[in-house]
Amino acid sequence: MSAFSTEERQLLDDSFNEYFRDNYGATHAVALARSGDPDGFGRKEWSDYADLGWLGLTLPEAAGGSEGGLTEAGIFFAAAGRYLAQEPLVQTLVLGAGSITRLGTPEQQKQLKEIAEGKLLVGFLHAELASGYDRSHVTTIAQPIEGGFRLTGEKAFAVGAHSADILIVSARIGDAAGPVGLFLVPADTDNMQFTVAPAIDGRRGAAVRFEDAELGKDALLGNNTEDRTLEIDTLLDHGTLAVCADALGAMVAATEITTEYLNTREQFGRKLADFQVLQHRVADMKVFCEEARVVIHAALTAVDEGAPDANLAIWRAKVQTARAARFIGGQGIQLHGGMGMTDEMPIGHYYKRLTMCEAMFGDAEWHLDRLASMTNMSVNGSAATGS
Amino acid sequence: MFFNSSAHNPSLDEFREEVRAFCRKEISGDFGRKLELGQHLEKPEYDAWLKALAGRGWLAGNWPKEYGGLGWEPEQSAIFNDETARAGAPWLIPFGVTMVGPVIYTFGSEEQKKRFLPDIVANNLWWCQGYSEPGSGSDLASLRTAAVKGTDADGEHYIVNGQKTWTTLGHWGDWIFCLVRTDPDVKKQKGISFLLIDMKTPGVTVRKINTIDMGHHLNEVFFDNVRVPAENLVGEENKGWDYAKFLLGHERAGAAGVGKFTRYMDQLRAVLAITNEGGKPLSESPYFRRRIADLEVSIATLAALSEDQRTAFHAAGSPSLIGAGALKLRASELQQEILQTMTEVLGRHGLAYQTDALMAGWNGELIGPKESAGILYEQLIRRAATIYGGSSEIQRTIIAKSAFAG
Ligand SMILES: Cc1cc2nc3c(=O)[nH]c(=O)nc-3n(C[C@H](O)[C@H](O)[C@H](O)COP(=O)(O)OP(=O)(O)OC[C@H]3O[C@@H](n4cnc5c(N)ncnc54)[C@H](O)[C@@H]3O)c2cc1C
Repeated sequence: MSAFSTEERQLLDDSFNEYFRDNYGATHAVALARSGDPDGFGRKEWSDYADLGWLGLTLPEAAGGSEGGLTEAGIFFAAAGRYLAQEPLVQTLVLGAGSITRLGTPEQQKQLKEIAEGKLLVGFLHAELASGYDRSHVTTIAQPIEGGFRLTGEKAFAVGAHSADILIVSARIGDAAGPVGLFLVPADTDNMQFTVAPAIDGRRGAAVRFEDAELGKDALLGNNTEDRTLEIDTLLDHGTLAVCADALGAMVAATEITTEYLNTREQFGRKLADFQVLQHRVADMKVFCEEARVVIHAALTAVDEGAPDANLAIWRAKVQTARAARFIGGQGIQLHGGMGMTDEMPIGHYYKRLTMCEAMFGDAEWHLDRLASMTNMSVNGSAATGS
Repeated sequence: MFFNSSAHNPSLDEFREEVRAFCRKEISGDFGRKLELGQHLEKPEYDAWLKALAGRGWLAGNWPKEYGGLGWEPEQSAIFNDETARAGAPWLIPFGVTMVGPVIYTFGSEEQKKRFLPDIVANNLWWCQGYSEPGSGSDLASLRTAAVKGTDADGEHYIVNGQKTWTTLGHWGDWIFCLVRTDPDVKKQKGISFLLIDMKTPGVTVRKINTIDMGHHLNEVFFDNVRVPAENLVGEENKGWDYAKFLLGHERAGAAGVGKFTRYMDQLRAVLAITNEGGKPLSESPYFRRRIADLEVSIATLAALSEDQRTAFHAAGSPSLIGAGALKLRASELQQEILQTMTEVLGRHGLAYQTDALMAGWNGELIGPKESAGILYEQLIRRAATIYGGSSEIQRTIIAKSAFAG
């Protein structure tokens, strides 16, 4: 489906990496995250992304976008992860713009242009205090009222929600048995309580409580009361894969800087890189990177080609990537010795980013459970099959 | 011997009860709450706890009686360590009582024993460990901080120049015990001495190292022409490496930290019980049930290994090298595994890391279980468990050497 050739993808990859290499990296990421500024990320960077056309990468032409697929976005996220970019890219582009593109009315779709122009940051609030990773558990209620809806409920901590201009919020329409809709909620709506905090990797987010927050009629995405549970699941699957791409970039960087460190640090009169056990460890890190790269690629292709079992490919990619992330993050610190424990060295920041990626939208074990529930156990069945 | 004999000793049950009762009484109120939340303790809070232990003679319970200890057998020490850890007691800061104290009473002069031991038993002085240097970590024997002997109007002394690093709690230390180079011209292990340095001496500078958990534990310590009286040398000049090796053995004997793991498992169960998935408590999840069972297999194995080490110690007078290495290796890896599992649970709450919540008196709005910040802090700082005290790679090398030596 993607209109991008291999050469074009390569050019994109080069320009993303060039930008981030010149403008980002652990030091800059940490400075942004710890600045007194309430965002904890870069507004200037955000407008750069817009100017470079990257915020519209996957958006329709009508919105000023270039109609790329998740693969093109994945290349972008991998570069962002590699240099620890702090901006809520996956939230705005995949979950936010993704929901509006898929479900929005023509009127609602007009907001996509603002996203592409960098004027609109979008947050996504679906998980709740009692949902865990389960995507079908929604207790937030959107009560239809004269001229709109009244929203009540509590959403769990989500990265990027603290600075979003609009939040896309899932809620059951009417009562606890009602269909799940997605609502466009301006962040300055009355009767919303934000609890802002940094995540373990320093990126900020918020948990949000809605206490009779009043929304207009046009807040309901798609302007009809169809149940959106399946679309939400697909959106979060795409978010999961985007996070895998982010993790891939971070894993490649963590492996690279660890290799460099072993090449410079000496103990026992030799470079650490001379010790075979450490060489083998780096070899395992490399293999994990390669495996993650290819399963992520396979899943991106499945999504962009509209393969019927693309979801399974994503779940497999997440299991493999999350395991790789744990290994590479942990060993990255381990092989740095005491230096790996310092806030000053980049490796710890990659460890924390990878810890976050491991968890986001469902960890390895949770995805493995999903796969297990779909496994074909008949004697002649091959691996897991769709539906 | 495949299976050493190790019968249950009922007289120890009484001691266990006594330690439990003490912990219940002492670990309560605001102090208990801080510990429950995993908040950072201030120096006076550690001090109060260590002095309370000292009041019972327990701080140095395993020291010989002649030096102010109670002469505990390894079994009693193990019970004490396990029960206090299990009750969530603060870290038993080892630098005085477990490290420098035994070196002084084993190798020190009579004057040194008189001067230093009573303050260690009573926790009147805070010690820290000055071994590692920027260029000397795993290869500790390559250390370069130099101590040059001389004489002036005030007598014989050493002039110390160099740098130590990764000094845990160096910012609270009154004294630091250092390995220093006193002979640069011999095999590197043969030119090292063990020196006690008052950190208030002119020329000593302590600088903070920020760690990935965003706390302050570690420091660099710089020595710029620091004058140390010659009487602060422990034992013989150039024998420091032997004392350090002795200390390492002492440090490791039976110290698996099983009590702490039991405490972690309690926390894991607590966060599982209050975390829901799909509206149901995560404690009902087959995966986490299996995970708990699996971790308990490892904990039971570690406890048995630890006990076997103590029995072997009785039988042979020293712990086995492979056993000691295995204990350090597995305990540190298991600690990280349990913390990873807790992090898997907290993933359901979004992994917010509210470091402010680690400060006493913070009353902002919490995200996730109340223990979250404490658990994530542990998960980050314990990445170091496989690095300090002989890294996992170095442990495996030692075990392999011993295996191949037959
Ligand atoms: C939290 C923390 C607290 C500490 N507290 C103290 C303290 O109070 N006092 C003190 O003196 N020190 C302290 N240390 C220092 C600690 O002892 C050293 O970090 C440790 O000895 C490792 O040395 P290094 O950090 O220089 O790593 P390096 O020796 O540089 O090792 C880096 C990596 O290479 C591996 N490696 C090294 N040599 C080999 C080899 N021959 N074969 C295979 N692999 C190898 C290591 O296992 C590690 O993975 C502390 C460290 C930490 C992290």
